[in-house]
Amino acid sequence: MLNLTELENDALIEIFNIGVGQAAASMSAIVNEAVRMSVPSVSFIPRAEAARLLGHGEAPERICGVSQHFRGAFETDAILMFPEDKSLEIVRLMVGEAVPLKELTDMEQEAMCEIGNIMLNSCVGTLANIFQRELEGSLPQYHVGTSDHILTATGSLADSVVLMLHIDFLLEKHQIHGYVAFVLDISALHDLKEQINLYIARAMGQA
Amino acid sequence: MTTTKTVLIVDDSRVSRMMARQYIAALRSGWRVEEAGTGEESLLKAREVPPDLILMDVNMPGMGGIAAAEQLRREFPSVPISLLTANVQAATRERATAMGLGFVEKPITEARIAQLLATLETA
Repeated sequence: MLNLTELENDALIEIFNIGVGQAAASMSAIVNEAVRMSVPSVSFIPRAEAARLLGHGEAPERICGVSQHFRGAFETDAILMFPEDKSLEIVRLMVGEAVPLKELTDMEQEAMCEIGNIMLNSCVGTLANIFQRELEGSLPQYHVGTSDHILTATGSLADSVVLMLHIDFLLEKHQIHGYVAFVLDISALHDLKEQINLYIARAMGQA
Repeated sequence: MTTTKTVLIVDDSRVSRMMARQYIAALRSGWRVEEAGTGEESLLKAREVPPDLILMDVNMPGMGGIAAAEQLRREFPSVPISLLTANVQAATRERATAMGLGFVEKPITEARIAQLLATLETA
């Protein structure tokens, strides 16, 4: 799949932790509440396995997802996923109590797209800044379905590798679990590895 | 004496436009707010109702925010334009600086809108 040295793996986790930390800060500003976001691990797994993990194995959970394709230093589909039944709650936190429920329901998909746009760009933009390269993003797309459906909807192939970050969003008043996944093919994984090594070289004063 | 100003919000997200409008209304009750959902629409809207401040998203369908801001800068050279974007990359920020545009990160909050309006009033 992708063999990383201990140092490369450490750098990868550190870089994505920084990116996700920025996404947490954006989430906090969106919902106007303190948010803690943990990144216990970064793993490279085949798409089918990622779908099983995200679906919790048993009866597949319905998820709403927002995806964006990024290209530049490396190419990836970044996907933000929440349980479908939390979507309206998140949008309510974003727009506040002033908007009537009917109007809120009407704009739910659009609002989730904007939340995804802000959080994914916050994370990916931070990665781009760390890599000192530019990543150009597509417009956000909204999906609803099982995790496998969402991972497939981005156009990724069954044998694609998913760089998966499992993130718990912990709000002060609401416990909402979200997930971020990055889908990369083999070529993109090698580009990412190259960027990590450039980052390490800079950190060691060799570039 | 209260001076009425016109703010043009350009964003393909209806929710973001709604939030920006809400904060502007709360901070400057008499100000006029115009909206455009694309870069192309922003050019038409600005010609119709010349703005005093333009808030511009970057990643939009069609011509996009950077190209729209370039065109608006040519047509309305004295009007402050600020990018209001989820794109936090250094490259985008540097592009904004080079073009003489402001840069404010999303998400839209009352504090960030207040900062933008203060920029207009001191411009």
